[in-house]
Amino acid sequence: MSNCLNVKKRTIFLYMLPGIFWYSFIILIPICLAVYYGMYDWSGGISMTFTGLDNYIEVLKDPVFIQSLKNNIFLTVVCLIGQIGIAFALAMMLNGRHIRFKGLHRTVSYFPAVLSAVVIGFIWSMIYDYNYGLINTFLEAIGKSELTQAWLNNKNLVLLLAALPLIWQYIGYYLIIIMSALSSVDPQIFEMAEIDGATGFKRAIHITLPLIKNSLIVCVTLCIAGNMKIFDHIYVMTQGGPGAASSVMAMYAYKTSFLSFKMGYGSAMSIVILIICLVLVGASQGLMQYFTREKEGRA
Amino acid sequence: MKEIGRKIGIAAQNIILLLFSISFIFPAIWLFYSSMKDKAEFYQSPIALPKSVNFDHYISILKSSNITSWILNTVRNSVTTLFFTILLGFIIGYFLSRHRFRGRRFLYGYFLLGMLVPVHALMVPMYVLFTKLGLHNHWYTLILPYTALSLPIAVFLVESYVQSIPVEIEEAAAIDGSSIHRTLFQIIMPVCKPILVAIGIIQFFYIWNEFTFGLILVDSEALMTVPVGLTLFRGRFSTDYPRMMTAMIISMLPAVLLYFGFSKQIMKGMVSGAVKG
Repeated sequence: MSNCLNVKKRTIFLYMLPGIFWYSFIILIPICLAVYYGMYDWSGGISMTFTGLDNYIEVLKDPVFIQSLKNNIFLTVVCLIGQIGIAFALAMMLNGRHIRFKGLHRTVSYFPAVLSAVVIGFIWSMIYDYNYGLINTFLEAIGKSELTQAWLNNKNLVLLLAALPLIWQYIGYYLIIIMSALSSVDPQIFEMAEIDGATGFKRAIHITLPLIKNSLIVCVTLCIAGNMKIFDHIYVMTQGGPGAASSVMAMYAYKTSFLSFKMGYGSAMSIVILIICLVLVGASQGLMQYFTREKEGRA
Repeated sequence: MKEIGRKIGIAAQNIILLLFSISFIFPAIWLFYSSMKDKAEFYQSPIALPKSVNFDHYISILKSSNITSWILNTVRNSVTTLFFTILLGFIIGYFLSRHRFRGRRFLYGYFLLGMLVPVHALMVPMYVLFTKLGLHNHWYTLILPYTALSLPIAVFLVESYVQSIPVEIEEAAAIDGSSIHRTLFQIIMPVCKPILVAIGIIQFFYIWNEFTFGLILVDSEALMTVPVGLTLFRGRFSTDYPRMMTAMIISMLPAVLLYFGFSKQIMKGMVSGAVKG
């Protein structure tokens, strides 16, 4: 078809050049620079000492980095269950025939997703606040003031508490994706299942789930990719503290580079983060495809 | 009996959905009415409704802080970025979709990479690059990363949209003697309007809420974006919650109005972006 339109290759090339150049300047060049700086012991000044792969090896041994990676993985798992699980359950309910205010529910549920992470982080810090937070106010109101605490300073709870806003903010996002997948399924399938006596739960697992699996794969991939780059929420709520209890990889890379000025080490960490993310997203996609194929084979 | 059980089930579902919906909207309402209280009133009971309706905090914040310039900066970043994203994304998406040339597959994968790269892996090297080249702390600084990072999604959405346009349109145009330049901008671009609008919507919210690059590439207060500026407020008003909440409401307002004005189109645009991307 390009013969018919007969456009010179040079024209195509010239048209695309500005975009490709701009994109490369921001994506490709910094990655190459990071690989390069990662091989130096460098604190942003003039003195740079070549150290080869030492930085990269050190990152992999760094206990705070490992802790941060674990926290990222924890957040991902909690969010996979919380965001996609709750979104799926709500979508199943919203798809029922006897639900009121369907449009309103959809609009409102997506609302937190259009707010900035900074605002979300502040709102939830105010909810968790020791003196005037909503949780402690509520606990005092019901006479359980002995349970009040500085929630975000509790190092056993902090990560879970940091996960709540994430889950809460993005339920609507996954809800809308799942709803749009459901709307493309032939409603007769649901009616037939109902006539055959499939109850709500069974219907959800055995009929709906397989029908929208492609959209669910998209959700899982988005969720993993999204949680690997968590930064804004944590920056606003806890800065990774107390200690490294709620630190995530991006937070640690930020602190290392911009607060401790270990630019070389921070660059190496960036590259390690990049590789981890690409591997995890790739692996998750492969796994999901493998599993769904397996199921089809059995059915 | 069965009928009663069914009714209870339906009622329970309605209640669960309502509770979730309330939880999604309540924080915004809480912020709004708390912003009318003064400090003492808020600390007495954080949850109670304000005794009187007054917008003193709004006036004093708009007057005494840089929030208006942060909003203007963010609007300027958004408009400029959307212009370049839509223009460049449209061109690349169109050629990727319609023309077979060497390196096409490579280019496709190259843009896909941009969607998978976590932006925080670019944080440090981009800071170094920008400071070395003197690109940080200008009014145009943030437009550079925002446009580049918006390009992949724009390219992919346009690419798949153009595939649904019959190629006969361009052939007819070519036979009638329309040059490629004219066909591209005066014939194909108008046909692509729905997807270009969707791209604009998705990326507007991204830019309005973006935090990381705003934090590291700009440090003069006059050039800050809204989310970064908000974090300054916390330092200043750490003990004055109602003022802080007022600042948050002001910062949210443009996005909130846009959202409730066009929620259907926005949700549709976001889904197409998520699923195709």
